[in-house]
Order: sequence, then C-alpha cells, then structure tokens
Amino acid sequence: MTETYETHTCDVLVIGAGGAGMRAAIEAAGDGASVILVCKSLLGKAHTVMAEGGIAAALGNVDPQDSWETHFQDTMRGGQLINNWRMAELHARESPDRVYELETWGAIFDRTPDGRIMQRPFGAHTWRRLCHVGDRTGLEMIRTLQDRTVALGVEVLMEVTVTRLLKDGHRIAGAFGYNRVDGQFVAFRSKAVVIATGGWGRIFKVTSNSWEGTGDGVGMGYEAGAEVLDPEMVQFHPTGMLWPPGVRGILVTEAVRGEGGYLKNKDGQRFMLEYDPKKKELSSRDVVARAIHKEVEQGRGSPHGGAYLEVMHLGADTIKKKLPSMYEQFLRLADVDITREPMEVAPTIHYAMGGLWVEPETGATTVPGLFAAGEAAAGLHGANRLGGNSLSDLLVFGRRAGAAAATYQRDVTRGNLHERQIAEEQELLLKPFQSEGKENPYLLQQELQTAMQEGASLARDERGLRACLKKVLELQRRIEMVHVPGSRRYNPGWHTTRDLRFMLTIAEAIVRAALERKESRGAHWRLDYLEKDAKLGRVNYIAYSDSGRMRLKTRPVPEMPHELSRLFGEPEPLPAQKTA
Amino acid sequence: MAVASAKGAPANGSVALQVFRGDPAGGAEERFEVPMQEGMVVLDAIHYIQAHFAPDLACRWNCKAAKCGSCSAEVNGRPRLMCKTRVDEFDGEIHVWPMKAFPLIKDLVTDVSWNYKVNREIPPFRPSPNEAVPYRMAAEDVERIYEFRKCIECFLCQDVCHVLRNHDDKSLYYGPRYMVRIAGLEMHPLDTQRRTGLLHGKAGVGMCNITKCCQEVCPEHIKITDNAIIPLKERTATDSYDPIAWVARKIRGGVPPEPEAAAIPGFVPKAGVQRFAVQDVVRLRARGRPLARVGRVLADGWLEVWVLQMGGVTQRWRGPKTVRATDIVSNYGPLDDVGIGSKIRDQD
Repeated sequence: MTETYETHTCDVLVIGAGGAGMRAAIEAAGDGASVILVCKSLLGKAHTVMAEGGIAAALGNVDPQDSWETHFQDTMRGGQLINNWRMAELHARESPDRVYELETWGAIFDRTPDGRIMQRPFGAHTWRRLCHVGDRTGLEMIRTLQDRTVALGVEVLMEVTVTRLLKDGHRIAGAFGYNRVDGQFVAFRSKAVVIATGGWGRIFKVTSNSWEGTGDGVGMGYEAGAEVLDPEMVQFHPTGMLWPPGVRGILVTEAVRGEGGYLKNKDGQRFMLEYDPKKKELSSRDVVARAIHKEVEQGRGSPHGGAYLEVMHLGADTIKKKLPSMYEQFLRLADVDITREPMEVAPTIHYAMGGLWVEPETGATTVPGLFAAGEAAAGLHGANRLGGNSLSDLLVFGRRAGAAAATYQRDVTRGNLHERQIAEEQELLLKPFQSEGKENPYLLQQELQTAMQEGASLARDERGLRACLKKVLELQRRIEMVHVPGSRRYNPGWHTTRDLRFMLTIAEAIVRAALERKESRGAHWRLDYLEKDAKLGRVNYIAYSDSGRMRLKTRPVPEMPHELSRLFGEPEPLPAQKTA
Repeated sequence: MAVASAKGAPANGSVALQVFRGDPAGGAEERFEVPMQEGMVVLDAIHYIQAHFAPDLACRWNCKAAKCGSCSAEVNGRPRLMCKTRVDEFDGEIHVWPMKAFPLIKDLVTDVSWNYKVNREIPPFRPSPNEAVPYRMAAEDVERIYEFRKCIECFLCQDVCHVLRNHDDKSLYYGPRYMVRIAGLEMHPLDTQRRTGLLHGKAGVGMCNITKCCQEVCPEHIKITDNAIIPLKERTATDSYDPIAWVARKIRGGVPPEPEAAAIPGFVPKAGVQRFAVQDVVRLRARGRPLARVGRVLADGWLEVWVLQMGGVTQRWRGPKTVRATDIVSNYGPLDDVGIGSKIRDQD
C-alpha cells in the first residue's frame, strides 16, 4: 500500500544543482532533452559556492609555457598515479574551453594587464594556472551556471531530496524522494539519471563541507548496483579555521598560500621549507596537511593545536583586494585582523576523491541509464586532488555526463516505475515517525562524526580503523531505532535521518577500503604502513553491494598509452614556483 | 527589545534565545537556553536547540561561512545571516524570527520562491554576436561589476525593502537584489542587451525612494542604492527621453573605441575585420549558401566551422571545416538566440 505521491516525467533527471549538476543540465537541455534538475537546497546555494581559489585550466595566459600535457602530468603526479589517465587527459585538454565558455555566459575573472584571464599559482601546479576572481571563484561560477540554466528554461525543483533510484529490470527508470517543504512524496519517471550530489565531508566532525555533503547520490548509486571507487581517499585541506570552536573546519582558501602566505609553527619557523624545500607552502595538499599534523604532534603547534598562516607581509591593500572574503571571515568570526595578525589553521576534511566508478568519456556508471559527474564520480583525482582541479572537473565532466545522458535517452524507451520499490522506500522514510525507539538523529550523526574523526581521518592505523568499523556497524543497527517528533512539514530531524543512512553506508566503505590499503599513498596515510607499496599502486579498491552486503574488490589501474606514459619518463620539470 | 527581563537573564555560561516557532496557521516565541561557547554564532545556538530540544525546528543553512546566504533571519528585529551573527554581541535574550517580507513555511523558513520567479524575467547576458572568444576585457572594466557579482542571494535586502515589506505588494518592484543583478548585467563591458524598458516598467526602479535600508543590511557590503539603484534610475531616465544615449553607451560598452583598446598593451583590434564568436550561426559563401556554426575562432581571420546538413528528418553538423572569415556572408548571432540549436541533433 503506497501513500500518494506526485510524478514528474522527463528524459534526463539531474540530481544535485552544484557546478556539475547545472553543467550537465545545461548540456542535456541544449541537446534537446527534457531535463529536470532537483536539489536539496535553494538554487545557487550548493557547495560549489564555497570554492574560493580558482579553476585550473592551462590557458597559458601568465606562463605561456603551460600546456595541457603539463596539467595532465601535475594531476597524475598529485593523484599518485592511481588516477584514471583518460579522465586526467580529457580534463587537462578540455578545461580551457570550458573556462572560455563560462565567459561567454557572463562570468568575469580577474584580468591580466593585456585584458586576458589572470591566473594564480596553486599547490603542486607547475605553472600559474588558476583562473580566479578574488577569492570567490565558486560563487562566480555557480551564479553564471545558474543564470544559464534559468535562461535555457530548465525546470528546477528546489528543496527536494531524492532518496532512491528506481529501476526497471537492470536499468534506471527514475527516482523517488520527498519535498522538504511539505514532506510530500515525489516520483520521477526518467530515462536517464545524472548523479551530481557532491561529496561526503559531513561524515567527519571537522569539515569544510556544508550539511548537504552526506554522500546521498553515491549511496543511492551503490544501492542501485553501481560501484564505489577509491572510497578510502578523503582529502584533508591543510588550512581550515581552528578557533573559536564554532568555526572549526571552515575553509581558509589555498589562495592565501597562492598569493604568498607563510605557514609557521609556534617558534616562528617556516616548517614547509623542511618538508618540501622546492614547492614549500605550495606543495600538494596531502603533504602540507601531514606537515601541520607532525608539527603539532611534536609539540610545535599553535595554542589550539594547529599552525600559523601569515599574510601580513603582503600589505593590507593586497590582502583586501586579493583575499577579501578571508579578511572579512576572520575579522567577523574570529576577531582576527589578518592584515596585522596570523591566522590559526589546522587540517579540515575537504573533498572525497572517491565516488561512483564512471566511464571516462561519458560519466556512465555500471548501471544502464545512470551517470555521475563531479565530486560524486571518481577517477580523475586518484589519491589526492590538486587545488583548482575540482571546478574544472565539474565543468568538463558535468558537460560530458549531460551530453551522454541526452544521447542515451534517445535510444531507449521509458522504463516503468514499480510500486513495490516505491512502497519500500516510503516505509523506510516514514519509519522514524512510527518508531518506538529513543535514538536522536542529530546525536547519532555526531557519534558517527566523532568516530570517523578519531578512527579514519588524517593519520590511520589498523587498530583505530577496526574500532571505527565496529562503531559504524553499531550505528547502522541503532539507526533503526531513531525516532523523530513533529510532522513531515520542513522537519530537519526527519531529513537528517535519511541522510544518515547514506552516511553510514559511505563510512563503512571508507573504513573497509582504508583497512585494505596497507600502504601510505596521497591522502591515505597509514601509521602502520608508512611506505608506498608498488603493488598496491597498481590497483584501485571498489566497494559494491552483493545482495545488501558490502564487498570490496580490486581492479587494476588503467594503463597509460605510451604517448602519455613517456611524459613521466623524463626527469621532473624543475621550474621555480613563481608567485604573483 | 533586546533588553533582558529578570526572568530572561541567562544563567551563568548559557545564553537564552526566544525562537519563533509556528506555521502559516500561527505561532509564538519559544524560549531555549543553550550553553555558551567562545565565538558562538546564532546558527550554532539553533543547531544546539535542534540536537537537544527540538529536532523538528526548521531553519535553512548550508555553508556556515557567510558564503551561501541561506540562513537569513531577523535577529532582535534586524535582518541578519545567523552564521555571521555572534551571540556575544547581545546582552540578554536573543529573539530570532523568520524574514517578514516572505510567506512563512515553518519556524525560521520562509517561501522565497517569488525571488526566483522574478529572476527568470530578467534578460540574460548577451554579448555581441561578433565578439571574438576568448574575450579581452580591461581590468578596470570588469572590476566595476565585481561588487554586484558578490551578491550571495540571502534576500535580506528584499526583506528590508519598504516596497516589498510594508506595502506587501510584490507586483510593483523587483526589489534591491534584482537591481543589483540588472546593474551587473547592464555594466558588463560586453553586454549588448537592453533592459531599461524593463527597469522603467515591470521591474519598477522608480518605486525605490532611496532610503538605503537595503545597503545597510547587506552582509556583502554592496552599496546597493548608491552603486546599483541610483545609476539604474539615471540610466532609465536618460534612455526614456534620449534613445540615442542608449545606443551610444551600448556601442561604447560592447566594442571598445580605439583609444581605450589601444590602452591595453598588445591588443590592437583590426579595423574592418568581421568578428565571430564560438556557437555563432553563419551562412557560407559556398554552393547552396549552407548554414554553419562557428567551432573555433582561429588566428589571422580563419575560422573552424561545422556545416549544417539537412536531409529529410535528420539534420547534422558536419565538420570541422576551416574557412576564411571573408567566406562568410552573414552572421545571425549565437545559436541559442537563433533558436535552431534545440531542434538539431548533434550526431557527430
């Protein structure tokens, strides 16, 4: 017996309205498909808005030596060569066009003196490569895509949460969820679905992610039979705010270091000179995060257990012009004037390199009709993502997934929605209202966050991971006992309960894969296996559902063709990292 | 209003909040006491209340770093972002209410969908069809609109606007947020769209009586009245009585005149060369005068085009083909504007 629900019909359903989702919707709509775009929040609030530093694209406007080949190499090296080479190649080749395209839709970037797009240096990028507008590049990008989406007349359903993919046989037939505002159920009948739901930073306690980063799309894809690649690879951004407690984890953009900021320990030493004398503060994110962790561990941390980040030497005018929102953020939230005092920073969970396994060209998952793009998809970034590569990822692969979904839907008939699947999902959704249990969804979420922060964060070992896994499995049992009071009308406690199920699935995948990868590589740092293992460097871990049980398997990292692998045969290019 | 009564004075180490709870049928303040933490903001307190006292307390939020503009509310009667409002700036009880200019959904959440409807009515950015890609724009020209692009759409300016709030009539004026959006488009150096008719008519720029309340509450410190609304009012007045001024301004904005362009080192636009943009629909001088779309703009007057082939029901773009700019008879502008884009399947 099912409760009433409204049904929307379309060719392509895009879940998530961040950069990747909107870019996919724009492409699919431009190709003539009827598109519905759904998002959990209001339009334009997605986490893309938080991206500050810039979009990595080898335009060569500032450093003419730059080329897609160098960008490709930087991306692969950053990812410790477990990336999908084809994705890295497409990304490096296509991102310049995607940036120029944004300009034709009204985006504006900082300019060079001759009127072209300005580019700034960033961690582990060989040349100055990040197209930016001050420190609010993400906002510029999301507003531009939003305007374009609106101009194309794409139907947008705001504040709708999709919780389950519906299948007809082995292929996708649509999706099911609820409207957050009135709590009414919604079904979508669509020929193709694009997952663009972003990452899962909210599984951890200290994160730069917004509440939306709960891994829904990847969780749904997993339940529908898609594979989750590299779940163990979770990126720490080296510089999150640290004090006061309320702001802990909020991002301090890498642009602060890109513009010439120094990291210092409590003795005033620029410790990055020791950890990476060549790239210094602009080393890759995993290296800088570990360096800060080690400094703190060895008793050289700042009062609240982090490091100092200084920009005073740049001068107040430059700071206010190049880093206006950082200036405002610290002044307002931490009473720190960054033109006079250092910032106190510590690593914060920032990005999930892992996600749904996709075909490089199309973003197609292993489930027919299901596509994924952006942070929800995996493969491009390998073991560590370079700053700026996520925004270009969204544009390049958002477009590709949208185009592929639009092409796919032309050749297939519409699948049927099966009442049984809908009834099951409704029962699951309504359970917390009927439950006699005493568990509180918020406190359960906090328990998960604490457990993951302790057991599966920056520095991992067997014992901690085992304890963490035990806790995650315990929480998976206890979530059945969650009770929420109130009605279905805009009830955040109820919303949290469903999100939490996805978080628990993803958490299990993270811990299980982290236990298996007995080596240290990129963002994955095992205290009990400090070295890289060449054998493990040739495989990716994949989590998949085997009739409801999570299984793990390995798959060989795709081998690069000779014309690309030869790029790595030569000695590493040694251009000095220039600062603006 | 912010003065604490004896009853409301918070116990040591805690802060008392009076949070509006209710739905369209009615509601009232409910009192909560939350343990004080250093640097705590109002949104932290709301989260604490959700986790410990009222799991179904409705509020919107996303980034918690004043970048997304979701957690707008009225704190002690003033429109604020809850994530940016420190608890320690108030003495006594803190009253948290939803925005009053919009219909209530529940507790602190209001129905802001009207704003999105208005947004759809504004004609989008339209560059000149002959503008070469990549664009060249001088820093000072783009910096002029930085301020407008900073808007995070928190709608606090809409909430405080007298026209929208007191008269409760949203049919007369788009509100400050959309004056900012229109200003950003109108002052974009490459935009060629005309919006002064809209401003004068439906958008209702004349309704604003310059009380500057909107710019006082803007969390991004955009000088909404001074830099967006007043210039738009002037522009609308000029264009209504002097259409030539509009043409002159758009030409100046769209195609920079020689002296300005020459000020950009290394950028000398060639006189007499027709300009093309990616995705422009053009007609070729070849046999049958076929239509094509521009794929890339190459150096020295060469273009890469995709030629449209129509055969019965199927239509496809064939290419790329390299042609001279002089081989092109006419340029109809961007594919989207010409409108054949959606009907043609890209099968290559």
